[in-house]
Amino acid sequence: MILALLLAAATADGPPELPAWMRSSAPDAVEFRPVRYQDAIRSVPAFARDMYATSVGHAIAYEAMERGQWSTMEDRTYRTIRAVLSAPPRFAVDERALSPRFSRRQSSVERVFEWAHALHFRTIDILAAPGLSPSERRRAMDAAWREYQAQPFALTGLPMSMAYLDGFPWSGNFRRRYPKVNALFWAYHWLQTANYDMLFETPPATHRPQYEVLGAQYRDAELDRVDRDFMPMMAEQSPRFALAYPQIANAFDNLHMLHDQVNDLYATPGMAPAARDREIQHAIIRVLASSHAGETPGEATNLDLHDHRHPPSTPGMGFMKGSEDDVMFMSGMGWMDMSVCAHCSVPFEPDPAWGATVTANGWTMRVRCIMCARDMASETPGRAVIRAATEQPGQTLVLISDDEGNWKSNLPGVRFVESGGEHPECHAWSKAFTTAAAAEAWRQSAGEDVPILDLTAWGQLNRGKPETYRKINRPNPYRDSGDAR
Amino acid sequence: MILSAIAGIMLSAPIAAVPMAELPKASPILHEADCPFCRLKLVQNTETEDNEVVLRFGNKKIEYRCLFCVIKDQRRYKGNLVVYAPSEKVGEPIVLKRTDGKWTGPEAVRILNQFKSHGDCAALSRAFTTEAALLRYATDRKVADPKPLTLEAFIREVERPK
Repeated sequence: MILALLLAAATADGPPELPAWMRSSAPDAVEFRPVRYQDAIRSVPAFARDMYATSVGHAIAYEAMERGQWSTMEDRTYRTIRAVLSAPPRFAVDERALSPRFSRRQSSVERVFEWAHALHFRTIDILAAPGLSPSERRRAMDAAWREYQAQPFALTGLPMSMAYLDGFPWSGNFRRRYPKVNALFWAYHWLQTANYDMLFETPPATHRPQYEVLGAQYRDAELDRVDRDFMPMMAEQSPRFALAYPQIANAFDNLHMLHDQVNDLYATPGMAPAARDREIQHAIIRVLASSHAGETPGEATNLDLHDHRHPPSTPGMGFMKGSEDDVMFMSGMGWMDMSVCAHCSVPFEPDPAWGATVTANGWTMRVRCIMCARDMASETPGRAVIRAATEQPGQTLVLISDDEGNWKSNLPGVRFVESGGEHPECHAWSKAFTTAAAAEAWRQSAGEDVPILDLTAWGQLNRGKPETYRKINRPNPYRDSGDAR
Repeated sequence: MILSAIAGIMLSAPIAAVPMAELPKASPILHEADCPFCRLKLVQNTETEDNEVVLRFGNKKIEYRCLFCVIKDQRRYKGNLVVYAPSEKVGEPIVLKRTDGKWTGPEAVRILNQFKSHGDCAALSRAFTTEAALLRYATDRKVADPKPLTLEAFIREVERPK
C-alpha cells in the first residue's frame, strides 16, 4: 500500500517511481534456506529433467526476443527449444547464462521470475519429499511461503483479475503471432501447474507412475497444443492443491500471467524498446505483493488492478474473462461450475471426505465420488489418473489406467462399494476402502447389503451419463465466432 | 478510490470485458462434450433421432460426433473396438466391430458420408440398416446425389490419402 501511494504521488507528472530493488544493480542472488529435502524432485527423475528444461526453454525464447530474432522465432528458435526439451538437462540450469542480453536488460523481471521459479522448486520438493508427516509438510509449505514473501520482488498471493491483466491493447500479441513458441510457454506452465495435484497428499511411491501419464501428456500433446484460449491456471490443473494453498496457487498464476505480459510486450510491433521496458516495469509492479499490501482476497476496491474476487468455491484463482461467481470458461472443457462435480453436476459436500479428482487428456477435474471419477475417465480417450479419498483421511487412493481403462492401484487390497442410487447422494453409496476388512466394517455399520468389489470388478462397471449432469452452454468468451468450445 | 486513481495513473487502458448481462443463461443439456477427433460438440440423442456414436475400447466408452470421426481416429486405439452407430431406428444402434484390425458389421448396412464441413458431419456421416433407409433419409435431408457405401467402401473412402 505504501508503495502504491508513493507511486501515485510520483506519477502525477511522469512515470511511476520504481521501488528501490528495481533501480538497484547490486548483486541479487537470493536462495531459499537449505533444507534436508532439497532436490526431492529428483525422486521423479523424468519430472525433474522436464522441469529443468522449462528453464532452458524460457531462456532461449527470451534471448531470441531480446535479440529481435522474430523472423526465425517459429522455426529456428522453436526447433532449438524442442531439441532441448527432447533431451532435457540432468540438473537445474542458470537461465541468466543462457539469456545474457535479456537478463541484463530485464534484470528486474528476471529477479521476479527466478524467485518465483525457486518457489516452484521449493514447494515441489516439500510435496515430493518422503518421510514428512502431513503436519510437517504443512509447516514447511507455510514457511516456504513466508520466506518467499519476505523478498521485495515476491508476487502477490492474492487472486488477480485475469480478465483485466489479459485485457491490454497489446495482450495476446505473442500467442497470435508466434503460436508454436507460445504453446511451449503454456506447456511449461501446464507442467508447472499440473504437477501439484500429482504430488499433493499422494504417496511418494505413486509419483513416478503418475508422472508416466503426466509426462506423456506434456511431451505428446501439451507442447504442440496451439488451440488453448488462455494459459493453464493452477486451480484448473491442480484443484485440490489450489484449495489447500490458495496464496501459492495465485502467486503462480500471477507469475505465469507476467510471463505472458512480457511476451506480449516484446511481440508488439512498433513499440519502442524504452516504452516496452517501461510497460514491463508496470507489469511487474501490478503483480508484486507490495502493490497489494493490506488488501483482502475476495474483495475488490476497483474492478481492475485491485479486483481480488475469486470464485466462491475456489479461492486459489482470480476471476477469468466472463467469470460469474463459480462459473468460468475452461479451455478445452467449456464452461464449468467450479462448485459442483464435473461429472454429475451435484454440489460438493462440505464433508472433509473430499471425493476424488480425475486427470485425463490434459485436464484435472474434481468429482464427488470414486464412481464419478471412474465414469468420467472412461468417457475420455487415453490413460487417466484418479486420486480419491478412502476411509482413512491420510491415505489417498491413486488409480492409474491404461488406454483401455484397466486400473492399477497403489493399495493392493483396495475394495469398493457402489450400491447404486441417486447422484445427489453418490458420495454416500460410492466409496473406496483401503482393505476388504474396512469395506466390511462399513457395510456392517451402514447396514447396507451391498457387494464389496475388488478393483477388476469395479473397473468394469460404468453407469453412463448421470441424469443430474448439466452443461453450461455459453459462447467461448475468447473467440469472436461464438464457438462454444 | 485511491487505489483506483493509482491504477489509472500506472496502467495502460485495458480492453473492456464482455458485459455479463449479455451472456446467455445456462441451459440444461445432457453430458455434452467435444468430439475427440473434430473437437466440435457432440450431438445428443433426441426422442425422434439417435445421434450418439459410442466407441467401446476395453472399459472405455467414448463418444464421437459421427462415424467418419471414429474411423479417422481409430489408430489411437491399439486393440479391438466396438462401435454403436446410431441408425434410422431410435434405440437400435448398428454394431460395428474392429477385430484384429478388420472391420465387420451387418451385411445390409449402408453408410452415408457426404458432409463438406464437420459442422454437418453428425447429420451426413451416418449408418443405416438398409440402402432404402439411407435413401429415404437422404431425400428428407435433401442430400444431392446420395451414395450408399458398404462398410468396406466407407472405410476405404475415409482412409484414402487426400
